Amino acid sequence: MTSADVLQFVASGLQNGAIYALVALGFTLVFASTGIINFAQGEFYMLGGMLVAAGVAAGVPLGVSVAGAVVITSAVGCLIERAVLRPVRSAGPLALIIITIGCSMLLKSWIRHLFGPDERAVPPFSGSEPVALAGALIQPQVLWVLGITVVAAAGLTVLYRWTRLGLAMRACSISHDAARIVGIDTARVVMLSFGLSGALGALAGAVVAPITQTAYDVGARMGLKGFAAAVLGGLGDPVGAIVGGLVLGLLESGAVAVVSGTYKDAVALVVLLLVLVLRPQGIIGRHLGEKL
Amino acid sequence: MRRRLNEAIVFVAGVAMLAVPAVVTDRYVLKVLTFVGLNTIVVIGLALLFGYAGQVSLGHAAFFGIGAYTSARLVMSFGLPWVLSVVGAAVVAALAGWAVAVPGLRLRGHYLAMATLGFNEIMSVAFVEARPVTGGNDGLGGVPFPSFGSFELKTPSALFVLVWAVALLVWLAARNIVRSRPGRAMRALHCTEPGALASGVDVAAVKVRVFALSAGLAGLAGALFAHSVGFISPSSFGLDLSVLLVAAVVLGGRESLSGPIVAMAVLTLLQYLGALLPGLPRQAAEAIQDWVPDIVGATLIAVLIARARGGAPVRAKEALGRGAR
Amino acid sequence: MSLLSVRGLDKRFGGVHAVRDLSFDVHPQTVKALIGPNGAGKSTVFNLLTGFDRPDAGSASFDGTELVGMPPHRIVRAGVARTFQESRLFETMTVEENVLVGMHHRLKTTFADAAMRTPRVVREEREAREQALHAMRVVGLEPFKDTLASDLPHGIRRLVEIARALATDPRLVLLDEPAAGLDGRETQELAEALLRIRDTGVTLLVVEHDMGLVMEISDEIVVVDQGRKIAEGPPRIIQKDPAVIEAYLGEVVDGV
Repeated sequence: MTSADVLQFVASGLQNGAIYALVALGFTLVFASTGIINFAQGEFYMLGGMLVAAGVAAGVPLGVSVAGAVVITSAVGCLIERAVLRPVRSAGPLALIIITIGCSMLLKSWIRHLFGPDERAVPPFSGSEPVALAGALIQPQVLWVLGITVVAAAGLTVLYRWTRLGLAMRACSISHDAARIVGIDTARVVMLSFGLSGALGALAGAVVAPITQTAYDVGARMGLKGFAAAVLGGLGDPVGAIVGGLVLGLLESGAVAVVSGTYKDAVALVVLLLVLVLRPQGIIGRHLGEKL
Repeated sequence: MRRRLNEAIVFVAGVAMLAVPAVVTDRYVLKVLTFVGLNTIVVIGLALLFGYAGQVSLGHAAFFGIGAYTSARLVMSFGLPWVLSVVGAAVVAALAGWAVAVPGLRLRGHYLAMATLGFNEIMSVAFVEARPVTGGNDGLGGVPFPSFGSFELKTPSALFVLVWAVALLVWLAARNIVRSRPGRAMRALHCTEPGALASGVDVAAVKVRVFALSAGLAGLAGALFAHSVGFISPSSFGLDLSVLLVAAVVLGGRESLSGPIVAMAVLTLLQYLGALLPGLPRQAAEAIQDWVPDIVGATLIAVLIARARGGAPVRAKEALGRGAR
Repeated sequence: MSLLSVRGLDKRFGGVHAVRDLSFDVHPQTVKALIGPNGAGKSTVFNLLTGFDRPDAGSASFDGTELVGMPPHRIVRAGVARTFQESRLFETMTVEENVLVGMHHRLKTTFADAAMRTPRVVREEREAREQALHAMRVVGLEPFKDTLASDLPHGIRRLVEIARALATDPRLVLLDEPAAGLDGRETQELAEALLRIRDTGVTLLVVEHDMGLVMEISDEIVVVDQGRKIAEGPPRIIQKDPAVIEAYLGEVVDGV
């Protein structure tokens, strides 16, 4: 294997990993502020890709389509929280899981009603002429994926560290009661964290769609992989989510390089099961899992 | 009292099902009703695991698939008699359930749900990729009909009776289980694990056993499915079925067999409604089929919200996820 | 001859030294009370003795069997039952079913037996229900036999916990604040029930805040403060112990 091959695999690993990281961030943001694992997270990713595809097909400029997809999905995230999760805040974790599963069925089905069951293509953001990089040929879209992930991660860091909203979100992740006492509108924070996770998922779906194509049913598997990344990095930890995503992407492409591509999709899932079972500290705690 | 009445109704309905082929001659209708019977077997298993013991599995379609492929292979590649292959398939699926349950003991709630979902996806990948065994995406055709010696069951009515007879036996067995020692232990640990431990219940052992039993029943149904249909492919064993099963148990209610059975029958029939109602225009039929996920999703959300708000009758109020700790 | 002999029990949670080098004995067919101010580590001691938590050091020998290291359900099988401070009843089950779960380890029906409902299962179920009835009678629960646990009033719930513990056929029962939330009359009935239970040959170790109850039923008292034993002896000696009075500092003086 030449160094160019290695670079190729690393690039593809980082590209997939960046997507996992964005989806994982969505899981982590919602979990940190609510203790809920949102089984509809994968559908946000699906929505991002499908809405961009639909926008472009309808003649809307690409940039506007992407922005629109992100905004709409973010609104869907807020709506899910406000309309179906908030009324049952006190229900047990299983009920919340099932409700988010119900949401995921609806989103998937609506998109199928609207845009049909076929795969959709999205044009690359800036041409398809591969860029030569140290002997490897890289699709420009891969650079877009990496760039946007970096920007999103940086933006999130700024938000988390230096804004009032970020402070409120961090406070909620420690204790809702304490946050309420110091005057934080926790209900608003929870809704916004759903909105933010919708935006991140949609961004991931939109930016990777030109590479992978997209369809109404791509959400579930991506949701699982994103969750695997989030758990790998420690659920509730945004930095961990990004690291977990990249590690998972590299692991996958390493497995493809060393073994074969046949079971590529199983790699992340096996990692998920191993982490869940072998590193239970911090991931099976009742107080974390059943916080809300 | 109401509980007994419910069960009496289910029992009579179950026995009456066996007489259906005497009245219904439409092959398609019989096939659909056979699917209902197969799903009944699977959902009984999940009701024991989830509705009674409180352990969620979003991976039951995978156990169903494991049973289907195992039984098909045992007959086709190893020449086992049909009866043995079905038993073997159930055992293999139960072992798979055991293998998931033992590490799964460390997980609860969210994490068990995600882990079993992950298991289902892994198996989906495996069903597609393990071509020598499963035939990959092209599927596995020519699975022989059920047979006892040289006597083959190949008419839709014979297959119907076979499946429903098994379903009825499974229901009787499950009913017996929930009414005695193991059933009480399952219900107890669902309510409070410390309370169950303090009563001398080996919580871990009960969980693993009920998981294996539940997976075994899914495998049994899968084996019957493979031989009744004659052709199996990965698309029959995906997440959608797992989710539908969980939905049926949620809608059917906690600590109930008849509820999930009826719910699963409705959910199964919905998908074939168009073809079952004579005179329904083709377009209407297709529209209904198209909107099944919407109906299921919306019902799930509505029912759970209603229960959480306490608007439902007492028994339903004790529904999943709302059990006292 | 002691039935339970606790030696050098020690447990820390992070920086909190919850139980320190605690030793005491419980003699057969007696009632022993474990008392102390809030946060003295009493519930922790119960969790250590019943396998819900593992001590950092020490041993607890029950009639020659070492309890430390055993899982909770095995400790029950060895003959040590417990109740919880916050009741942990099986809410979706009737009182009778709650008690039947307590008999779990004494019954033999497996999944396979149950599925086939063999004649042996039917017989076992019938006998179990008779014995459960007996356990309910001891604490006066018979009228509530078919009531769902979730529908019971508070005072009755405590009795169900006790009946369920008795159903395990224990030789020693650990009761964690059995009188919490009971009114005067209910407490008196509880006291009588506990003495009846003792008279059937069951040994009791009771954590309790109600000093009236403690003084009435205990044969011996062990007092802990900040995880450490500060006094041990019969009620009339403990009442006058200066260290005990200081530890409580008025908290229960009126009761003592």
